[in-house]
Amino acid sequence: MTMRVSLFVTCLADQLWPAAAAGAVEVLRRVGCSVEFDERQTCCGQPAFNTGYRPEARALARRLIEVFESSDADAIVSPSGSCTAMLRHYEQLFEDAGWRARARRLGERTHELSSFLVNRLGVEDVGASFPARLTWHDACHGLRDLGIRDEPRRLLRRVRGAELVELSPASVEACCGFGGTFSVKYPELSVAILDEKVDAIERAGVDVVVSGDASCLLQIGGRLSRRGSSVRPVHLAEVLASRRSSPP
Amino acid sequence: MIRTADARREILRAIRESLAESAAGGGAAREGPVEPRAAGPGSAVGSTGSADPGAKPRGSTGPAAGASKDVVSSFTERLAAVGAQCTVVRGEAAAAHALADILTDAAARRVVGSDAPLVQRLLSALGDGFVRERLEGLSRDGLFACDAGVTTAQWGIAETGTLVLESAREKNRLLSLVPPIHVALLSSTCLCDSLGDALARMSRASHAITLITGPSRTSDIELTLVVGVHGPQVVHVLLLEEEP
Amino acid sequence: MSFERSARAALADEQLRGALRHATTLFGERRRAAMATLPDWEGARDRARAIKDETLLHLDRYLEEFTANAERAGARVHWARDAATACEIIGRIAAERGARTVVKSKSMASEEIHLNAALAARGIEPVETDLGEYIIQLAGEAPSHIVAPAIHKTRRQIGALFAEKLGMEPSDDVAKLAAAARRALRRRFAEADLGVSGVNFAVAETGTILILENEGNARLTTSLPRTHIALMGIEKVIPRFADLEVFLQLLPRSGTGQVLTAYQSLLTGAKRRPEDEGPAELHIVLLDNGRSGMLAAPVTRQSLACIRCGACLNACPVYRQIGGHAYGSVYPGPIGAVLTPQLFGLGRSSELPYASSLCGACRDVCPVKIDIPALLLHLRAEVVATRAGKPRLLERLAFSAYAAVMARPRLFESVVRLARMLRVMLPLGAWTKWRDLRPLAPRSFREEWRTRLRHEVAR
Ligand code: SF4
Repeated sequence: MTMRVSLFVTCLADQLWPAAAAGAVEVLRRVGCSVEFDERQTCCGQPAFNTGYRPEARALARRLIEVFESSDADAIVSPSGSCTAMLRHYEQLFEDAGWRARARRLGERTHELSSFLVNRLGVEDVGASFPARLTWHDACHGLRDLGIRDEPRRLLRRVRGAELVELSPASVEACCGFGGTFSVKYPELSVAILDEKVDAIERAGVDVVVSGDASCLLQIGGRLSRRGSSVRPVHLAEVLASRRSSPP
Repeated sequence: MIRTADARREILRAIRESLAESAAGGGAAREGPVEPRAAGPGSAVGSTGSADPGAKPRGSTGPAAGASKDVVSSFTERLAAVGAQCTVVRGEAAAAHALADILTDAAARRVVGSDAPLVQRLLSALGDGFVRERLEGLSRDGLFACDAGVTTAQWGIAETGTLVLESAREKNRLLSLVPPIHVALLSSTCLCDSLGDALARMSRASHAITLITGPSRTSDIELTLVVGVHGPQVVHVLLLEEEP
Repeated sequence: MSFERSARAALADEQLRGALRHATTLFGERRRAAMATLPDWEGARDRARAIKDETLLHLDRYLEEFTANAERAGARVHWARDAATACEIIGRIAAERGARTVVKSKSMASEEIHLNAALAARGIEPVETDLGEYIIQLAGEAPSHIVAPAIHKTRRQIGALFAEKLGMEPSDDVAKLAAAARRALRRRFAEADLGVSGVNFAVAETGTILILENEGNARLTTSLPRTHIALMGIEKVIPRFADLEVFLQLLPRSGTGQVLTAYQSLLTGAKRRPEDEGPAELHIVLLDNGRSGMLAAPVTRQSLACIRCGACLNACPVYRQIGGHAYGSVYPGPIGAVLTPQLFGLGRSSELPYASSLCGACRDVCPVKIDIPALLLHLRAEVVATRAGKPRLLERLAFSAYAAVMARPRLFESVVRLARMLRVMLPLGAWTKWRDLRPLAPRSFREEWRTRLRHEVAR
């Protein structure tokens, strides 16, 4: 029986990291899901919500709830822990019981990619091959809001040619300092936090840093490239979709 | 002029108004992931003291009559871990000897004891070479000049290496605090397993109960440990086992 | 000074950042080790939070019960609606007793009401006796951490300070420095007429106050002088004596990484007979100062569950970089960022709720499970809704435009396409000064989907 998945791509992946979104489609299909994508979706409203603009966030939440209600897919899957967590927060945007129930229903249907593969489908080996030394960056919302810690690691350990190197215990769960508007409201502070993370990544001697959120990858990748580092930021979905036999 | 009765009324009214507003605003648990799903029916509890949402009913292990070897050894282990000394003795005569040794080793000359009869008996058994101060009439400066204070402790807590001193039983507050050395006499029959057991057994008639776990300490400078900053540098427990 | 500017100044202070990195890392390691000694950490957190929730939902009754029992035991209980009233009450008690010196043990509530300044204005000298507090009092600074007030200072800086103020040989031997403080403070204890302490927990059932510490200065403060005044926020009350157990399991482990701090003083009223030890009078000052208002909603009410362990400071990536002073409040770090606006008004601290990357580390370590990120988000919404602080005109405009565009997928796509074509760089100098900005993809996912991906089928 094929599982029917509706992709919640997130605006960031859509416009800045399309390879992550395309990778998610590829992987989901490879493990036997059928994938649909509703082009009416845009942004989940997280930037507005996190900056305190609740009416704006609420309007976008309503839209997205309606968009996904029109699909009878078995699950909604997103290559972003942060935006998945945002959908799970939708309920608190509403006072009206009807909307709260609809928001809750959407939250329950939505899964972050790695957690969907491992916990819902019971798949760890997605047939990927990606010859590189890589480390995993736990994005905070995936880690602390959704409790995703083992899932991506289990998937990465099954990737042919990939060698997973953990960061030092003090840095492994450390924030990258992105925090949405925080990264532009307090750029020096954001970068000071980021530099500790980037130092740890460089000390680990890896080729690639992998994460489940395009936002963290923008932040980490932006600093890596500014520092002239050879470490490349890659989204988890890209790694899982990869069939390459030579190093990236 | 502050009329504290008015302030009291005002604060209580503000509290009640806020709580009423909160209840009207859609109930306690209706604010997203905000109110952690605590175990138990927290908000449904009625009148003060009528229910016990937090504290689980604890099967008290009962009085530690005849203190098992286990309790004694975990107590002494914990004492060592927190930097306190411990000597286990059997009978009062042995205790008096041990006390003299402890004081001599620590080079304590001026010694002051509490009014507990046991302390008084042991102190009077001390040989020469010690100056025995009397607590009554001792000035602050006189107290500050003492080398060692001797008290009893009413309870010991095995899981933490803690001494419990009750004010209703003797004058122990300053003697266990001001001199650089504190010697505490504790009967092994008064060892409790856990903090919870001790809390259940403490005499609430005391206006001051002091829990002491090891010597005075500070880490306020670069988180570096220094022992004996305001209180004693040495805490020595004389654990008295019953004579067979 | 704005948070932004003080944060920038802190970031430029290498000595400060070194001290912070050392201290917060060590605190974190010790906390984790201590946690492991309690078999059911999560269960303890749930129990503690349930006790706090239950208390706060019936705070009026528990305060009355506490007051009745404390007074029955011989204490006098005073109620203070705000900081000025609390200072007035304490100042008057001190003045009426002719006190010239007041010894103080660590109390964040006394920092909150700026008691020292109020006492000094009456010609009464307040002497901080906790080593960390003593150091910053000598230095004329404010505490930078709620557990370790002088954490921002290195031993060398403290050595220089003591050499200047206490006339000792300059030294960076920590034991020597502590001994010098002990000597100096013993003199102050010898002459003190009055002691002021804080309160960690107040038991309604018995009228007992509990004070936790390591040094013994709180014991000296509460047992040597004739009069003891204990200052406590109204949220410190808990229902039952037995409830102390879970809090004594959580607080030292979370705060300093100890199984138990060296001392707990459980004080129930004043001494009963003249010949007993201890103060003849115990005054307890109950401080509201904005707390009752926090009860009005569950999200803000949880702020009052805080037991001031400081774990959220040590875990916070922002605090770890800049320390406490940048927050410009007696309560720094994550809990400070939510308490300060609620206690002192959103207008004056509208930046603080934004001083967080919302990583959630604070919520993970909090022994009473306060959802600080949810509180930060709530306060951000308040800032925007009440137009507190600076105008944010551009930001408002940007978010209206964002919402309008995002509500229209076609418009969204055209806007992005236009930006791509014109290679528009967003006005993100704040980003690009230190980080490269990834350009918009030449083809978006939705374009890929339309032209290629949707037609491919599962393999
Ligand atoms: S908010 Fe929680 S972690 Fe922070 S000081 Fe309060 S009790 Fe401790």
